[in-house]
Amino acid sequence: MNIGNGRLIRIVCLIGVLGTGSCKKWLDLKPQDGIVSTAFWKTKEEVAAEVIGCYSSLLAPPPSGNGSNDRSLTEYLFMWGELRGDMITLGPGASSEEVDVTNVNTLPTNSITRWTAAYRTINYCNTVIDYAPGVLKQDPTFTQASLNEYLAEVRSLRALMYFYLVRVFGDVPLKLTSTTADADLQQLPKTAQKDVLAQIVKDLSESEANAVTTFGDKVSDKGRITKYTISSIQADVYLWMDDYNDALTACNKVINSGKFGLIQGNGNWFTTLFYLGNSNEGIFEFQYAAPVNNPFYLMLESPSRRYLASGYVSTDVYNFDSNNPLNADIRGDGASLLFGDGTIWKYVGINSSTALLQGSYYTHWFVYRYADILLMKAEAEANLNNGADALSIINIIRTRANALPATALTPDPTDVNAVSDYILAERAREFAFEGKRWFDLLRFAKRNNYARLDILLDLVTRSVESDRQQSAIAKYKDFNSHYLPINAGEINSDPSLKQNPFYN
Amino acid sequence: MRNTFHTLTVIGAALVLLAYGSSCRKIQIVTSTTTDVNIYSYLQQHADSFSQVTALIDKAGYGAFLNAYGTYTFFAPGNSAVKSYLASINKTIDQLQAADAQAILKLHLIQDTLNTNTFTDGKLPIPTMYGQYLITGVGNAHGTSLYTVNRQADITQPNIFCANGIIHVLDAVLKPATLSIAQFIAADPKYTIFTQALKETGFYDSLNIVNNPDTNRTYLTLLAQPDQTFIDSGYANYAALKARLSTTGNPRNPLDSLWLFVAYHILPKAQYLADIISAQSHTTLAPLEVVTSSYVPATQTALINDDIFNGVHEQGVVLDRNSSDNTATNGVVHNAQALITMRVRVPTPVYWDVADFPEIRKLPLYFRRQNYSFAADPTHTNIKTISWDATSNGAVVYTYTSSPSQNYYWGDYLVIGMSSTGNRPAWLQLTTPLIVKGKYNVWICYRTQKQSSSSNIQLQATFDGQSLTRTFSFTTGMPSGLSEGDAEALGWKAYTVPQSTNWCARLLGSVDVATTDVHTLYIQVLSGSNSTNNLDMIHFIPVNMNQVHPRFKNDGTLDYIN
Repeated sequence: MNIGNGRLIRIVCLIGVLGTGSCKKWLDLKPQDGIVSTAFWKTKEEVAAEVIGCYSSLLAPPPSGNGSNDRSLTEYLFMWGELRGDMITLGPGASSEEVDVTNVNTLPTNSITRWTAAYRTINYCNTVIDYAPGVLKQDPTFTQASLNEYLAEVRSLRALMYFYLVRVFGDVPLKLTSTTADADLQQLPKTAQKDVLAQIVKDLSESEANAVTTFGDKVSDKGRITKYTISSIQADVYLWMDDYNDALTACNKVINSGKFGLIQGNGNWFTTLFYLGNSNEGIFEFQYAAPVNNPFYLMLESPSRRYLASGYVSTDVYNFDSNNPLNADIRGDGASLLFGDGTIWKYVGINSSTALLQGSYYTHWFVYRYADILLMKAEAEANLNNGADALSIINIIRTRANALPATALTPDPTDVNAVSDYILAERAREFAFEGKRWFDLLRFAKRNNYARLDILLDLVTRSVESDRQQSAIAKYKDFNSHYLPINAGEINSDPSLKQNPFYN
Repeated sequence: MRNTFHTLTVIGAALVLLAYGSSCRKIQIVTSTTTDVNIYSYLQQHADSFSQVTALIDKAGYGAFLNAYGTYTFFAPGNSAVKSYLASINKTIDQLQAADAQAILKLHLIQDTLNTNTFTDGKLPIPTMYGQYLITGVGNAHGTSLYTVNRQADITQPNIFCANGIIHVLDAVLKPATLSIAQFIAADPKYTIFTQALKETGFYDSLNIVNNPDTNRTYLTLLAQPDQTFIDSGYANYAALKARLSTTGNPRNPLDSLWLFVAYHILPKAQYLADIISAQSHTTLAPLEVVTSSYVPATQTALINDDIFNGVHEQGVVLDRNSSDNTATNGVVHNAQALITMRVRVPTPVYWDVADFPEIRKLPLYFRRQNYSFAADPTHTNIKTISWDATSNGAVVYTYTSSPSQNYYWGDYLVIGMSSTGNRPAWLQLTTPLIVKGKYNVWICYRTQKQSSSSNIQLQATFDGQSLTRTFSFTTGMPSGLSEGDAEALGWKAYTVPQSTNWCARLLGSVDVATTDVHTLYIQVLSGSNSTNNLDMIHFIPVNMNQVHPRFKNDGTLDYIN
């Protein structure tokens, strides 16, 4: 290289200029460690990668630092589903925020009310919805049919996220376009729960036609959204909306497909269904696998764990046969929990006695499994006055699990309330600690304009500290208290968001 | 190349201009640590809601301290609340004296920051500056639930955080209690018999003192008995009660049973129902007598003296929730639904099977079936009635044997490795069953076993902080060849049938149990180390009773003969 003196000076000047000139701006705005959208969205492989990215966002929070320090979605789903229920009690590592939620004392400053984890996934889905269609022009090998399949997946995943949000917060902002630049930031007001539900129903029904029945491998079939996943979400959504006929139809689609069944209740049941996962019973599971651990070691097993099973779970939910300890509900001791010390075992065990090693917590998070479809069908049947059908489904679940006679009920099949109570109790046994308890209690309580509010008032006597029960009961009589407040941080950054009633 | 270079230079220069133009703005220097306003400033800034209460603060001269550094909770009545209060007393703010305004505000001020998360069904943990406690709760009207304060006002806006505290907005002005406990009872026609009993025993006067300088008596709690409870128990009037109870004829005599009966209904401190159900027992003004309390979640009832004694359940007395928790100027009044009577109990031996506690009974697979290890427990929560030094080897092992040659009572016992050197627990603390007050001999019953032939351990027990005279050792058994009488004289007995010098009990000394209550037995290692400390039972036997019989069998039966 031969550079003349004049040139050298000019180069030095240029370097000086670049080095000192600007406080904030850089010549090149492209990130060094990422890829920008103008360089992306060119090929079908990139669309596929982005769709898988939506699912990956379910597993772990983004790396902490850069102002981001959040829990994983799974951790939120566990807390939202169980903290206000009656199946867990707080362990030595629980924070005061968890105590507050348990005691129906949630304030908007409580970080458990952060919804960013769900909206993060929604934004990934919206990005695919906005940008994937453009790839059709860029990549001639990308077909409309496969675009439609991808869109069905992400629309349904978005619907599932919104379904969690409306059940936790009531009215929430409905964002259907992506936020990929500052200009996309919108200060959205809340959308009414019923309108969000209408959007969920619309997204799911539109996606159903295009979704695949199989991806050709087991991991994808259980870890990505198929036609059957969509039917499962639909059943759940319709039950929440008290639309029993549509719920029944959705359940029957899954049942009649013949692709799923209950795992036999033998000695391998726990290992097959939970530890290994992706079993014949699984419909949609968050696919934890090396190197991404689920959050449960710190939550459930470490010495400073935050959650234990409530004492009432062993004695009342599962019960035991004191004459013959070997005659036990397979879902109880050594499966959902350890009767001995109250460890929540479902995400900790390899089998009934061996625990996972810290660092290899890959048990999945079970969003829907076939047992859920059966019990959702029972719930729909019960409310359609087919109590006898509902009871026979409950018995299928109970027989598989060797449920004990002590927990059997014999309701009059025509008594919808009694049959519903039985379904609710069976759901507690079947889906213990799967993040469903609070949603089940609320769904049953709010049905027919809160005809069964007593379910929640009764819950308080089991879940709230004794010197706060009277307050908690009075709070639950205000239906707005059944939804969490919007986090104070969201309210501060978006003036058009109004705090949920009851928390003003 | 040259051209490119020139172009670059030009672009570079342009960028310099742009950058200088855009970047070096005036620096904003923050001079205050926070922009949060103090309580008084907040109220001033929101005059549309708080102009009235601000005027009241000005009148009282409290503006300065409510605008200074501190930690306060202010229950701020809104404008309409203050107006309707003033209308009810027929005055304007101008007509109020500064002292009046101060009295009103003091009842609304607490010198601590309390957000609604600290609210229970009972009192706030700290009294107001007025000296009375506030009670909180939640009320539901027309489907809307709001926090309530003193059952007088709703909180319409909770938890406004200011720099020096928290504001809760009220829809009514709080009114202090004006009656003392004594006056409250006297004013209520359903308490005539009890009022007369209070007067005749002299307690009426002690329950009438407000701001008692004796800080143990500043606040009291009265478990009041309505007339109906006396009638239900066969006392038609005060005369009948006095005829039955007044043993000395002078109800003011602290030895008189009527005096004791009334004293038994008064608890120190202000204890609302939420406080009462949060503890197991409460002392009373009757010397060394306690009431026990319990809570039934299913019916949400608070019960007094609902006990299991000698295996028999004694039905407790309900404190009615709706008519209890009445705040008086010097405490709280509760309404008992039946007669709360002192239990006359003579000292009764307690043969305490330490390997029988609720936590192990909840484990049907293990209780009297197989071993279960309660792991090292730094938080002392694994077993409610047993806590131990948390060390790496700090397990308490519930141990069961079905072998007929093992004499353990019910076949089960606790194995607790202990040591003075830190690798095993150095102490163990047990909560006893209910022991009636009296004088007892304490026997510790174990099976002697050495971890290795050189193992030796010495321990000392402490009962409610009172050291027991004799130390003991799990590694030393009863000397053989002694007659039963000689052994007892030396502080030994064989507590099992068949008798064995290995299954032995050591007399630790005698204790004066002051109150009929559960008590604490603390065992401390003095020296040595041993892993096989097999603790089976602990006996508390009244000193004047047979110390040797009954003996215990591994099938759970008692033997009074062999």
